[in-house]
Amino acid sequence: MRATVTAALALVLAGAALLAQAPASSPERDFLTRPRRLTVEGRRAGEGYWSKDGKQLVFQSEREPGNPFYQIYLMDMGSGDVTRVSPGMGKTTCSFINPETHDILFASTHHDPRSKQLQDEELKFRASGQERRYSWDYDPEMELYVRSAKAGTYRRLTNARGYDAEASYSPDGQWIVFSSTRQAYDHTLSAAEAKQLETDPSFFAEIYIMRADADGSGVKRLTNVTGYDGGPFFSPDGKRIIWRRFDEAGLIADVWTMNLDGSDQRQITNFGAMSWAPYIHPSGQYILFASNKLGFENFEVFMVDIDGKKQPVRITYSDGFDGLPVPSPDGTQLAWTSSRGGGREGQIFLAQWNHERALAALRAAPAR
Amino acid sequence: MHRAAILLLVALAGTSSVHTQTAAPATRPFVETLASEKLGGREAGSADERAAGDYIAAQLARLGARPLPGRSDMFHSFAFAAGSRDAGSRVSITAGTAATRAYTTAADVQALSFSDDAEVSGPAVFAGYGIVVPESQGFGYDSYATLDVKDKVVVVLRYFPEDADQQTRGILARYADLRYKAMAARQRGAKALVVVTGPRSPNAGLTVPMTLDTALAGSGIAAVSVSGAVSSVLFANGKPLVDAQKDLDTGNPHVAGFELPGVIVSLKAALTRERRTGRNVLAYLPATAPVTNVDKPWIAIGAHYDHLGRTAHSGSLASRDDAGRAHLGADDNASGTAAVMAIAGALSKQPMRRRHLLIGLWSAEEIGLLGSAAFVATPPVPVDQLAAYLNFDMVGRMQENKLVVQATGTSAVWASILERANVAAGFDLTVQPDPFQPTDVSSFNGASVPSLSFTTGAHSDYHKPSDTAEKIVYDDLDRVATFASAITRRLMDLDPAPQFVKVEQSTQTASRTGVRIFTGTVPDYAATVKGLLLGGVVGGGPAEQAGLQKGDVIVEIAGQAITNIYDYTYALDLLKIGQPVKVVYMRGSERRETTLTPAARR
Repeated sequence: MRATVTAALALVLAGAALLAQAPASSPERDFLTRPRRLTVEGRRAGEGYWSKDGKQLVFQSEREPGNPFYQIYLMDMGSGDVTRVSPGMGKTTCSFINPETHDILFASTHHDPRSKQLQDEELKFRASGQERRYSWDYDPEMELYVRSAKAGTYRRLTNARGYDAEASYSPDGQWIVFSSTRQAYDHTLSAAEAKQLETDPSFFAEIYIMRADADGSGVKRLTNVTGYDGGPFFSPDGKRIIWRRFDEAGLIADVWTMNLDGSDQRQITNFGAMSWAPYIHPSGQYILFASNKLGFENFEVFMVDIDGKKQPVRITYSDGFDGLPVPSPDGTQLAWTSSRGGGREGQIFLAQWNHERALAALRAAPAR
Repeated sequence: MHRAAILLLVALAGTSSVHTQTAAPATRPFVETLASEKLGGREAGSADERAAGDYIAAQLARLGARPLPGRSDMFHSFAFAAGSRDAGSRVSITAGTAATRAYTTAADVQALSFSDDAEVSGPAVFAGYGIVVPESQGFGYDSYATLDVKDKVVVVLRYFPEDADQQTRGILARYADLRYKAMAARQRGAKALVVVTGPRSPNAGLTVPMTLDTALAGSGIAAVSVSGAVSSVLFANGKPLVDAQKDLDTGNPHVAGFELPGVIVSLKAALTRERRTGRNVLAYLPATAPVTNVDKPWIAIGAHYDHLGRTAHSGSLASRDDAGRAHLGADDNASGTAAVMAIAGALSKQPMRRRHLLIGLWSAEEIGLLGSAAFVATPPVPVDQLAAYLNFDMVGRMQENKLVVQATGTSAVWASILERANVAAGFDLTVQPDPFQPTDVSSFNGASVPSLSFTTGAHSDYHKPSDTAEKIVYDDLDRVATFASAITRRLMDLDPAPQFVKVEQSTQTASRTGVRIFTGTVPDYAATVKGLLLGGVVGGGPAEQAGLQKGDVIVEIAGQAITNIYDYTYALDLLKIGQPVKVVYMRGSERRETTLTPAARR
């Protein structure tokens, strides 16, 4: 490498007794080894969820010209091939792979005739050089779809107006748990409710469950507490549901678990911060989640024992966003979304997960 | 650009299954041979370089590569100047009625490295700092605005106004390079340029050391530097130089130069340029089927194989204890050469190649990217037939699984290709869009070829005799070669060819020969943090004295916000030697301040 083209680079090296190159050791390495950026293409990517055999990862990413919203992609963890599995039009989010059939579940607005118009408007807004803070619009057009692994065709699973998203399958692939704001659209709203819907539609989101072969009927509501309930997943044994519950103001969130019928709701975390995106390790022994306990815009990944009896343990140490942790089905890897690659937008990162050290750290954690 | 990205998805989905698995490349023998004492550090134009080139050509022939079409061997020669020496420059001055004074020693008069060989005589005129800011910059500064210098000998100060405000210094510094000053004088009809290092500047009164200039011809004007003793004679009958410089140092563009009344300068500028011939090694693996319907039927891979050699070289960072030891250049760049050989080896076993694989091992990279520049200037294969170029420079010292890929901004396909190939390779990738890098990828970007450059980054043995073969991490070097082989295979099948995207060069990344500040900071080039992450500080340097240490992130210096290394190099122009400035930095999550006093660079 030539050092003299950029003289300043040369001068900083000139005569430099460069120091030993061992990087400052980060406590992150206790649990995460060989961390690396998995997604490279496009402006942003996130929410990577594994197939049951660990050979595929489904995720959302903004990476195609003409559409400034997330679409859903499937990565083959062997060959590295990446294919889009959503229709390409409109907004999508929150995908999940059926453990038995490999069908792909996701939320989408592609049926909305305004999709193209909304895409163009967003692109125009960006071209104008303006920026807005990250926000999620809880588009009431969002409906759940499943893409058949065999035929590649799409089937719509919900048809109630309202944001239907954040869905995942049970381990046997027979059930779907999801979040929906449908209660804000099924009756005439009072003036107070209408104002609430305008300022924060997520306020109306609750957790629902339905059969995986649903046609829009047979949906059962599981939560009934004021404030945003979302991001539900089944426990590895299929007997519990884990999710996050926001307070009424939508600023503080905590991780909760409950039975499949909505009974026995238990609060796991109480940081007094935004603790969300929980996922249970395949061992069933502990929960990984994200929290901004250390600074409003600094989300880090934490873990806590399955019953929340002890203090959570911090996992990641980097500025900006680290969240949406999802362990691989064999429990040896962790995929998560992070802005550590630079810029404000996240990409998916992957690291080896040290389960034994995690257990030891949880044992050593002080009681709550 | 958009269309290509979409088609790529299709193309990749359809071709991945035909990629054959090949045995892991073995880079070690190549590195150990190229970085051996026997090859002495492979200085461009030397017998060592020739021997290394012969070895590379023989190895390429062994794996079935051939000379390029229309050529009988694998060597591509080019001439360059390996160095220059003053060959008896002298100056004599007649000031009014005083006796003529003549100077002949190197301490008093030295040709500048880009001077013409010439003997001239004429009346002297002082043109201040000799700086002309182009009108396009919207900043009026022209040292020649009020002067007629036609057929005269122009005397100018080295550097740029010492006391100007930061913004003015920042602009003037960009046009203070001596080569640029010589061009400005020549364009105004001057006979010669005489450079004086002013009494108020660093290195006051000293002549300018000979620097390496690889051009074979002079710049069209006689140019010398003279000592303080000589300049005192030039300014004997008028305003003393120190006073004139003081006025000029304000940066006020209305402070003009002046005639040196009655002063006649006769000078001879004489240089000996050592002319040498460097050799690129060029070969190719032909496509396995006719390429008549293939869009841009060539993929190029390359690395420079030259290094600094056995002698003290301007690029050497060897300490005095190392004097006389060869710079073996195991990482820089036997490692990149070995990666290219390994990729060629892997591709030679590929049963199907839709495109030709051009293999280029460049010489004279260390003295200015000369080999790759010669290739793109007179390309044996038209550069518009190259679908892509992959460059490898210092890929043998991987730490913590980190691999840096540069120039990703040159095509929209790179992010997509890197993502897919890295799923299996598993590197902790850092992607840097900027193609204006101090390595051969710059030459190909300049020729509008979509390019990538791979590196594992700088280290403490950089440009020192201690960059030796046993320090190479061979397992990881082999992994880099495997990764790049997979990318090369994808490129072979990619249709249409990647589309080139022109990345605008920030003016801040332009050559900074005027930099003269020393801060003792060692940036971490792989960093992606906002600010300048320090990979270390030079022992005893200003940064260390200011309490800065490895891992600190500089976010502000002298009131200038620093978001990347270019901001930092630009900010260096604004600093004054010996004048303390405030530095704001992050240590972990803590914001701290300190005071740093820049020192002079020799």
